[in-house]
Amino acid sequence: MTDKDFDLTRRSFIDRVLMATAGAAMSAATPWAAMAAGAQTPGTGKVRLGVIGTGDRGRALIQNIGKTRNCMVAAICDTYAPNIVKAQQWVPAGTPTFADHRAMLDAKGLDAVVIATPLNRHAQHSMDAFDAGLHVWCEKAMARTIADCGAMVRKSQDSRKVLQIGHQRMFHPTYLNALRRVKAGEIGTITQIRASWHRNNSWRRPVPADSNDRRINWRLYRESSAGLMTELATHQLQVGNWFLDAVPTRVLGSGSICYWKDGREVYDHVALIYEYAGGRKFIYTSLLNNARYGCEEQIQGSKGSIEPELGRIYQEIPPKTLALQRMQADVKRGHKRTVPIGGATWFPELPVTTPGDSLGWGEYDETMLQFEGFGEAVRSGRPLPGLLYQAYNASVASLLGEQAMDKGEALTWPTGLVTI
Amino acid sequence: MTPTAPPTLTSTGIACFFAMGTRVELHRFGPGDEDALMLAQRAIEAVDDALTIHRPSAATALNEALLAGREVAVDDPVLFDALIEIDAAQGLTLGLFDPTADAQRATGWRDVRIDAVARRVAVTRPVALDFGGFGKGFALDRAAAALRAAGVSSALLSAGESSIVVVGEHPLGGGWPFAIPDPLRPERELVEVELNDEAMSISSTVGAGTLAPDRAAMIRPGDASVVSAARCAVVIDRSGSHAEMLSTALIVAADDEVARLTGGARRFLFDLAPVESARMCV
Repeated sequence: MTDKDFDLTRRSFIDRVLMATAGAAMSAATPWAAMAAGAQTPGTGKVRLGVIGTGDRGRALIQNIGKTRNCMVAAICDTYAPNIVKAQQWVPAGTPTFADHRAMLDAKGLDAVVIATPLNRHAQHSMDAFDAGLHVWCEKAMARTIADCGAMVRKSQDSRKVLQIGHQRMFHPTYLNALRRVKAGEIGTITQIRASWHRNNSWRRPVPADSNDRRINWRLYRESSAGLMTELATHQLQVGNWFLDAVPTRVLGSGSICYWKDGREVYDHVALIYEYAGGRKFIYTSLLNNARYGCEEQIQGSKGSIEPELGRIYQEIPPKTLALQRMQADVKRGHKRTVPIGGATWFPELPVTTPGDSLGWGEYDETMLQFEGFGEAVRSGRPLPGLLYQAYNASVASLLGEQAMDKGEALTWPTGLVTI
Repeated sequence: MTPTAPPTLTSTGIACFFAMGTRVELHRFGPGDEDALMLAQRAIEAVDDALTIHRPSAATALNEALLAGREVAVDDPVLFDALIEIDAAQGLTLGLFDPTADAQRATGWRDVRIDAVARRVAVTRPVALDFGGFGKGFALDRAAAALRAAGVSSALLSAGESSIVVVGEHPLGGGWPFAIPDPLRPERELVEVELNDEAMSISSTVGAGTLAPDRAAMIRPGDASVVSAARCAVVIDRSGSHAEMLSTALIVAADDEVARLTGGARRFLFDLAPVESARMCV
């Protein structure tokens, strides 16, 4: 792709974001999106980012940062040397490398850090960065415990530094467009969101000879991860809160190590119900031995449904007036009318297979846009509004779900969370 | 002397229930015994119980024996009556309604031997019977007979709206008017008909009804080929079971057979695709 092509693609992507978020209702619901999309102020020097954690996800982030107009990778850090070597192809020659994040912070020359380390390291890395006077962009979920999530928020507030969490769906034109159509009343009152993230693989990575299982497969161990809940469900819980415009009141669930009995400690099969005010529900399942239903959020309203991962909106089919019922009514009022029967009008209650309409695709990578937004937040010293609130609640919801499954009890939404 | 309008019959009951894999509705008007609808419903359920192949029944017991090549006595009177009626209708349908038709086996009704006196069935090779394309009309006939016996003179009986039997005249007098839409384009009407103490059956290879669970493909007897063309047949007859068998036969019929099956009667076959070449045989 040439630079000109890239600019055009980028422009059309941002135009779609701006179109989707136009209007009072949407600007109130997604205040971050338009600000991020409008953030194009090269020339005052790029925001210098130090990336902590250059594994698969960290390297993907580095590539997206490279596409932004206002950010650059100024240092990289990983405790595992092969990850550093792999990351160096995506950063300018001579970019400083570190094996210890504190050494990177001490070396100065950064405006902010990007954290893509195992979940149980997020809080410490964030705290250290805030202490070093830096802003923080951190992968979701926020932290291994609800207390640590709150501590990160409080620290960012106290230090007056930006804390932004990676929830790219909040920048995705398809999701933004879906929310716009919800706000316009196109699918009526949403009472249920059914979400799933189903995969058919062990989620286990091969362990190189110079490393160990708990380091490489940290997502499978409770010390470092809540497994499916923090690594996958967090994204969809954020979508649930966002579209239901609330946080849950209660969660109940069941988790098991059902298929991959390979020594892992985290569940490979979870099923949860998050209750929201007014009887609304977010029903979630995730498993690792069947991929047919993949990753989706089925947002169901009284007039229609939205499936944002598929990028489709569906209208409810109005209930058919049965012809023979109409005939009865006609006879009662002395009116003889042709009865429009035809074929079997008993319809089995199978899933509706109508194709629906397109919500519009985002062909561009929304992760780039969230970094451009972060860059502007760092420059101004003011976080993009609304983002951290969404991220914090999504992380709390995922960790509360884990607790509900562990205890086998319904748990109410915690009181005493940090106010954002 | 001015003619007087026929008296209007008011609705005296509706029964809606699930049977034979579909929604059955019985609408009665005017006088008749109080338990008429209940008796009609029982008649339909008795047919369902005897002919279903989706749960243990007299039909599945019969199939088990016939598939093993055994001669068998048919003790169930409903099943026996059904076999006799199908056998008698082979000429009427040119052999194109065949409950033994199976895409996997080259079997046919010719392989079935019925001894009506001994009430026994034998086969010359293993077969299994499927009463789809017959059972709903047969059941509605028996329900209509129950209503008439109970003194009901005006009623409409529907099984999934693809099988209709009317008893007597419309409650406001005259025939019962029906419009049959194109199953592919419901806003388009294929034909409008009036029934008077008659039955109607609609068969189609396309449309929402064909998505119903356990819906069998239409198979042409003889060469056991599956009919994939988009077709819809509408047949009106005095007998519900005849209408049912004839509409199934029309769907699988070749052109020359269509002409023989439809000649002079209210029987319609619509080739539905493509739209431009849709034709109607009457």
